[in-house]
Amino acid sequence: MTPPALDGVSVLDLTHCVAGPYCTRLLAGFGADVLKIEPPGGERGRRMAPFFRDEPGPDSSLPFAYLNTGKRGMTLNLKTAEGRGILRSLLPEADVLVENFAPRVMPSLGLDYAALREIAPHLVMVSISNFGQTGPYRDYKAADIVEYALGGLMYIFGAYDREPLKHAWNQAQFKAGTDAASATLMALYHQRMTGGRTVGQGQRVDVSIQEAVASGLRDVVNNYTYTGAVRRRQPNHSGDMQRLRATADGYLLPNPGLGSGLNWDSFVEFLGLPELDDDRFRTPSARLVNAEELGRILDEYFIGQNKYDMFYGSHRRRFIFGVIQSPEETLNDPQFAHRDYFVEAEHPVMGRLKFPGVPFSMEATPWQAGNPAPAIGQHNGQVLGRRLGYTAAQQAQLRSQGVI
Amino acid sequence: MDSRFRGNDGNGGNGGGPLRGVRVVEMGQLIAIPFAMKLLADMGAQVIRLESTGRLESYRSDSVYRNEIHGEFWNRGANFYEQNRNKLGITLDLGRSEGLELLRRLIAVSDVFAENFTPRVIKNFGLEYSELRRIKPDIIMVSSTGYGFSGPWANFGATGPATEGASGLAYTTGYRGGPPVMAEIPYVDYTAGEHTVFAVMAALMSRLRTGQGQFIDVSQTQAAAATIPEALLDFAANGREPVRIGNADPVMAPHGCYPCAGQDRWIVIAVADDSEWQGLCRVMGRQDWAADRHFSGSLGRWRLREELDAMLAEATAPWDAHRLMAALQAAGVPAGAVLDSKDLLFDPHLRQRGFYEVVRHHPSTGMPPLPYAGRPWKLSETPAVPPEPAPLMGEHNDFVLRELLGLTADEVARLEGEGVIGYAPADPRPVQRPSLDEQVRQGRMLRYETDFPEQVSRAYPPPPES
Repeated sequence: MTPPALDGVSVLDLTHCVAGPYCTRLLAGFGADVLKIEPPGGERGRRMAPFFRDEPGPDSSLPFAYLNTGKRGMTLNLKTAEGRGILRSLLPEADVLVENFAPRVMPSLGLDYAALREIAPHLVMVSISNFGQTGPYRDYKAADIVEYALGGLMYIFGAYDREPLKHAWNQAQFKAGTDAASATLMALYHQRMTGGRTVGQGQRVDVSIQEAVASGLRDVVNNYTYTGAVRRRQPNHSGDMQRLRATADGYLLPNPGLGSGLNWDSFVEFLGLPELDDDRFRTPSARLVNAEELGRILDEYFIGQNKYDMFYGSHRRRFIFGVIQSPEETLNDPQFAHRDYFVEAEHPVMGRLKFPGVPFSMEATPWQAGNPAPAIGQHNGQVLGRRLGYTAAQQAQLRSQGVI
Repeated sequence: MDSRFRGNDGNGGNGGGPLRGVRVVEMGQLIAIPFAMKLLADMGAQVIRLESTGRLESYRSDSVYRNEIHGEFWNRGANFYEQNRNKLGITLDLGRSEGLELLRRLIAVSDVFAENFTPRVIKNFGLEYSELRRIKPDIIMVSSTGYGFSGPWANFGATGPATEGASGLAYTTGYRGGPPVMAEIPYVDYTAGEHTVFAVMAALMSRLRTGQGQFIDVSQTQAAAATIPEALLDFAANGREPVRIGNADPVMAPHGCYPCAGQDRWIVIAVADDSEWQGLCRVMGRQDWAADRHFSGSLGRWRLREELDAMLAEATAPWDAHRLMAALQAAGVPAGAVLDSKDLLFDPHLRQRGFYEVVRHHPSTGMPPLPYAGRPWKLSETPAVPPEPAPLMGEHNDFVLRELLGLTADEVARLEGEGVIGYAPADPRPVQRPSLDEQVRQGRMLRYETDFPEQVSRAYPPPPES
């Protein structure tokens, strides 16, 4: 039996909300030992909506439960000298420390990379921040929408004649969390190649959420560098073949994939629309000229169709239609079901619940669903007592002093 | 020396990147796999990108420099350069048994084989993992497909928007009361690419300990679904269908995108608490808002969010977006100008961080050095390798076949003569783009500037010759 991919990797997780916790969640999912360190009242992510049964509580945030599965949890007040001392004592046996505070926070606590490196030269210190650790926007405040704006994705997102739009929820932060997990492993790979924990070379990893967005834009900046043109949100021609169409039961992307070996005639035959078997529509330039008429015919046709019938039918003919699924449809989709994507897990507050599972599967070293997200300070005793040797009385004292 | 050749020499030293010594054979197309492998190449892996001269990748035939489609236009495509930096390029005709055999020999001396074709294609070529592990027992194979390598949808071709739709992400996104809206780029290809980099790194870490390779099956749809737990769990736990709410936030208000002075200029503002609200009122010069008790407290503002949006949109309209961003940030209010493509390139913050990297192109292209987007991470001790351009078609045939596979010059010449390898597409068909004037008229482009080469080279001067 192959051990988990990240077996033996030890991570101190000082992160909160989305980007940092998703990074360490990916590491935990493949077998890293992740110790989540929160302030004594719990991190802010415990207050992220939506909540189980809409009842806020420290263990009922749904995204928190998802993001922190498979981690152990302890509390430490890093604003106290003792709290920082305990963190320092955990460093020699850690490979990675991940944090996503504002860039000024770790130095203000005396926990900048130079200080940590003194204690543990092999340590990979990963800092995820809104705009990176340097530069004029370093201390700017952000939310996901600000990252969409300054990352360049927003300007080209949405309707031509309306305000730019962003994706729902926290996409920018998820992107940065994924990137941070990759960069962590690159630095860790180097540490292992140079001797591993205690002797290998550690380093500082600086991940910027803005850059996570700006690195995935395809032809935005290069439109300018290649032609001098500034791209904008595209006008939505009704005859655009890539356009979303309403069906009787939802929405469909009837993009036939013309040009890649498929032709108009077979598309028309598949739809069963003889009125499109016409020179007014046969070539791309003719379709552009007669876009409005084409759009009207297609809209009228698709509104009478069932999206899944069209989706499956198209793929039997090797057209590449896409289907817009609601969360309910996603949860019930036969492809996800075949691949066991949703994993039913037991949570102390939420009971049995279907969680989104692995983003990709690794045959030899599978994803581990892991234990439910820790309650505040759940593993304090385990870490302080068993690992660091604090007696019960000492732990009680730390608690009364607000260190844990 | 071209940093790509250093990839596999195995001797440490600085400048080699953390992945020096890792060799990847990439049979990719468009973004999902090429983008991921570019990031590995940036960090020192030697990535050998396989192409076909018979089936020209569309990113080579579209968006060419200055829209000039004469000559070897396939070596001047913007999107190909964007996705394939720091890779070596070879051509092999896999329809010929000799071409396929050469690919298998190359895989036998590599660490990773990465591809994003449908399983049908891969199985037809006999390139599935069970076959590859026979020729290289510790190979790591990664397949990236729209819906996954197995299951009833396995062989369904997919575009970025299709996976955005299947995952549930599109359904939750859009203006209030409107239909689902998707990004105007193949957004999920990037989401999948980001997860692919992580997956390959995890497999490399595992192999370091155990000596074993494995098969990684990336479903682009699954990767996207993994990033919307809020919507999926709200349904699973509470039975709630998402409502499209535009740029609004479930908690914060005001939270949205507001017009500024100029054509199609905007700012976003996200207010989380009272002190940010007070800062916003101060900058906008509206002490009356600050004093209005209806707007005190997050819940109060959230209830009146539509009214607030309308008020704010009026107040921001005379402002320059960048000046307003600076003023709001100085007052502690999260805000950002909505940057267009030129703003991004000239953004003082991204420039100071060196985010865009200048790449020198091959002299035969006639293209000047140009900046390209870098990576979202900086590693202090093992930084990225100096950037080299994406390969010309077949540029490294000779190096790969002779240096890595030990063929003789005569054998390489014979392969070329027989058309197993090549240096130009068999059927070069460029995509004809409308003129820029026409694109502006159609509303696809906001404007264009004819002095862009000078503006770009002033801001991003070419690096010194190495």
